[in-house]
Amino acid sequence: MDAPSPTAVRFTREAFLAGARVMVPLMPGMLLFGLAFGAASAQKGFSWLETALSSGLVFAGLAQMVALEGWQAQWTVPSLLALAVLTFTVNMRHLLMAASMRPWLSELPAWKSYPSLFLLADNNWAATMRYYSQGGRDAAFFVGSGSFTWLMWVLSTVAGQVLGGGLPDPKAVAIDVVVPAFFIAMLVPNWKGRREVVGWGVAAAVSVAASYLVPGWWFIFIGAVSGAIAGGFTDD
Amino acid sequence: MTSLLDASTLAAICVMAVTTLFNRTAGFMVMRFIPLTPRVRRILECLPGAVIVAIVAPTAAHGDLAMAAGLVAALAAAKFLKSDFFAVIGAVVVTAGLRYVGF
Repeated sequence: MDAPSPTAVRFTREAFLAGARVMVPLMPGMLLFGLAFGAASAQKGFSWLETALSSGLVFAGLAQMVALEGWQAQWTVPSLLALAVLTFTVNMRHLLMAASMRPWLSELPAWKSYPSLFLLADNNWAATMRYYSQGGRDAAFFVGSGSFTWLMWVLSTVAGQVLGGGLPDPKAVAIDVVVPAFFIAMLVPNWKGRREVVGWGVAAAVSVAASYLVPGWWFIFIGAVSGAIAGGFTDD
Repeated sequence: MTSLLDASTLAAICVMAVTTLFNRTAGFMVMRFIPLTPRVRRILECLPGAVIVAIVAPTAAHGDLAMAAGLVAALAAAKFLKSDFFAVIGAVVVTAGLRYVGF
């Protein structure tokens, strides 16, 4: 691959829109997931404003959903600490996702890279890494895909809070398969050879084993680190 | 419960917001202090694929047969049609269809 020089990090309107466009296939799935979270939050007593603040500031669907299951009417300091630990472990994968963006975003000044990272979410990160691996270096792609995801998430969760229940059963309409399918689409062009066989194979084996053996959400972190190290030490 | 913004709920939302922001930035910050040797660069290059696999593989392992079939459809659509749209739609149609007929 003829990678452009690392100083070629740019920030254009075209890339912002291209980033937003790449998220479009996910729209129906994101919409339904957002409606479902909004409806569930209403059942826990959230107002529309509280749902909007949660989605807008936390912006992490899985963590919000998991936290909602144990939501308290009155939070105490110990229960807030437990909430922080729960949120941290569910979102530990973001540590790795952000680390993987270092070689690229470090070319930007900190006042641009750190605010951009607020928009880091699974789907737009996966789309951005495919863009990067295909030679794209325009950081607006990441911000565009992230902004679109953020807007969709806030609007759909508030709509769900206002509308309440009456949604189709998420399993019957296969919402649970949307994100893994999108991830697979982001992954396939990255297949290059031996290094992927080793790295992805180790990641798969270790993460599946850890998902049965280690409680909580550690399996992503453990599996991903093992796979990346195994792949990184495979010389082709 | 009837108020638009409850102080206790707001505190919990803020705790989550700070934690997720930490998760989003800390990995990037730490890498500032690790020299980007060719080896580290390679590991970082392998990281995105490994993260994705470590999310998808356990999801598939814990899911039903209909989901596994849907993910195979996504793989085929991504590989042969090179379309994100067909990958997602194909997976949803196959999985929902199989569940509808009772798998």
